[in-house]
Amino acid sequence: MDGAYRTGPFGRSLAWVTALYLVLPILIVVPVALTDQRFLSLPQEGISFRHFGTVLGSAEWLGSIWQSFTIAVAATVLSVTAGTLCAIGCWRISRRATELVRVLMLLPLIIPSIVYAIGLYRYFGPLGLLDRFLGVAIAHGVTGIPYVVITVSTALAAFDPRLEQAARGMGASLSQTLRWVILPRIAPGIFSGAIFAFIHSWDELVMVLFIASRQVFTLPRRIWDGINENLDPAMAAVAVLLILFTLLLLMADRALRRRSEGG
Amino acid sequence: MNEAKGHALSLRGLSKKYGEFVAVSDVSLEVGRGEFLTLLGPSGSGKTTILMAVAGFVAPSAGAILLDGRDITPLPPEKRDFGMVFQGYALFPHMTVAENVTFPLRVRGMSRAERDAKVRGALDLVQLGAFADRLPKQLSGGQQQRVALARALVFDPALLLLDEPLSALDKKLRAELQEELKALHQRVGRTFVNVTHDQEEALSLSDRIAILNHGRLVQAGAPGELYERPRTRFVADFLGKSNFLDGMVHGATASGFALEAGAVRVAVRLPDGAAAPPEGARTLLSLRPEKVALLAEDEGAENIAEGRILSFAYLGAGFSLRVATEHLGEIRAVLPAWKAPIAPAEGLPVRLGWAADAAVPVLEDAA
Ligand SMILES: Nc1ncnc2c1ncn2[C@@H]1O[C@H](COP(=O)(O)OP(=O)(O)OP(=O)(O)O)[C@@H](O)[C@H]1O
Ligand SMILES: [Mg+2]
Repeated sequence: MDGAYRTGPFGRSLAWVTALYLVLPILIVVPVALTDQRFLSLPQEGISFRHFGTVLGSAEWLGSIWQSFTIAVAATVLSVTAGTLCAIGCWRISRRATELVRVLMLLPLIIPSIVYAIGLYRYFGPLGLLDRFLGVAIAHGVTGIPYVVITVSTALAAFDPRLEQAARGMGASLSQTLRWVILPRIAPGIFSGAIFAFIHSWDELVMVLFIASRQVFTLPRRIWDGINENLDPAMAAVAVLLILFTLLLLMADRALRRRSEGG
Repeated sequence: MNEAKGHALSLRGLSKKYGEFVAVSDVSLEVGRGEFLTLLGPSGSGKTTILMAVAGFVAPSAGAILLDGRDITPLPPEKRDFGMVFQGYALFPHMTVAENVTFPLRVRGMSRAERDAKVRGALDLVQLGAFADRLPKQLSGGQQQRVALARALVFDPALLLLDEPLSALDKKLRAELQEELKALHQRVGRTFVNVTHDQEEALSLSDRIAILNHGRLVQAGAPGELYERPRTRFVADFLGKSNFLDGMVHGATASGFALEAGAVRVAVRLPDGAAAPPEGARTLLSLRPEKVALLAEDEGAENIAEGRILSFAYLGAGFSLRVATEHLGEIRAVLPAWKAPIAPAEGLPVRLGWAADAAVPVLEDAA
């Protein structure tokens, strides 16, 4: 940071306050999860890991974790495939019409998810997709597309279009060019998109409330129900586990990006 | 050189419009088998557009491209089988040198053993055998350029397209690679189409040069022919430097004429077969500075102009003079130092002389 402007004490404290404000709700969960009481509260006499034990020993919680995980994986596959192809298509054609397509692909981000969820509910019913693994995976996969479109488009903006011309000039077919030249260059963008799409599905609640009820019972849904019914600190323990897992994914994303920039 | 190995290429009335803007206008050109043709022209004259049309990346608005007499205009680039070196090389940054060079072979589904042998051969050809495992960014500009060449040559294309392959290099390296390129052309016997805006490169490398301006083909021919007998003022000016003498034709005969400029007459001898311009017509002469001599006191010449030195520059190997003459305006002369009878100085009165066949009539460019 040599030569950069130094921030004044006011600016610096403002930044710290903002940061604290953002992470405080996350941090408060940690002591609550470690409470020795039997209801949601801060630890009274000492810390205890027994709520973590409850979660990891409960077939319901583990079932939900597993269900959330498989749904997130399926949704990620869908988002990454559709989002990457869409971004590459728009990039290759790059006309005014493709701008429109790109904006359309961002719609799931722009429309309030509750509105989206109502719409899904109306037409998943006749299709028999309500309360089904496939239904939730499709809903999450489609709404995860924007993240992939954004990250892959960004990666493509830095891609030298002459490389594609060079490949084709040497006789490579479209699929060879895609596999050997374009995809390796934009892999970090695809991976970032995949992580965001995964996280999106992993903690999505609103749509699940509408289109799932009994058979599909994802982790966010179980936390939600748990909070509504009883104030079991196991919820906080789950939240901590969730945070750790998400952090892990973000760190993987960062590490990958750093490697692709350095390498 | 095995001339039969290269393709013959011909462009028939090639045009390219971008909306209203005409980037290439009605260009017709023949490139023989094994020939080294250079497209030369100022920036924006349509060179890259023509090359991209030949490669298949730009669809012509009109005209046809023929390869050995076969119309290839509708073929997509991957079906044309041309080697291409792009402006700025376009090496794949995530592949090593060897992987880059293997690419066209991999695309063709060649077996690994066969590929390896060819790649080694191509890298040896450009003297980069020791760099096979490096990434492009670990190479110098000149080395990258040679990788691009090896990659374009490895699959034995019958036609090689080069878009300013040497423009990013410094002068010395460029001269070196020009020689390498020329030797390479002779060794592989392929047809090369090279694009440049460097006139020296065009002169030293090419069998033939096509000069472009504003999307039009102005003149095509062997380097010596273009240099000695430019058809228009633009060609004379772009390919080397030139003085221009303006006057009226007087006393035209089969072998020459005199150009009347003010009170003097310039004798012009035409080569065999060249038609003299009509009597009384206004005509422009191109006179190369190196064909103008500085005369000693008692020396004669077919044409003599007296004047004063306006300025001079020492070039090491010789001098460049600007001389203000009374009737012919300013004339530039470039002479080797050993041939200068006097030491030049500003304001010095001098006599310039040139032979009757030194100046050639050229057309004024169409506006
Ligand atoms: N895609 C395009 N759309 C509109 N105009 C274009 C396009 N590509 C090229 N042109 C125009 O066509 C003309 C010829 O371009 P071209 O790239 O062939 O020039 P060039 O001779 O290769 O120049 P340089 O020596 O600078 O590379 C230029 O005026 C350019 O602005
Ligand atoms: Mg160009």
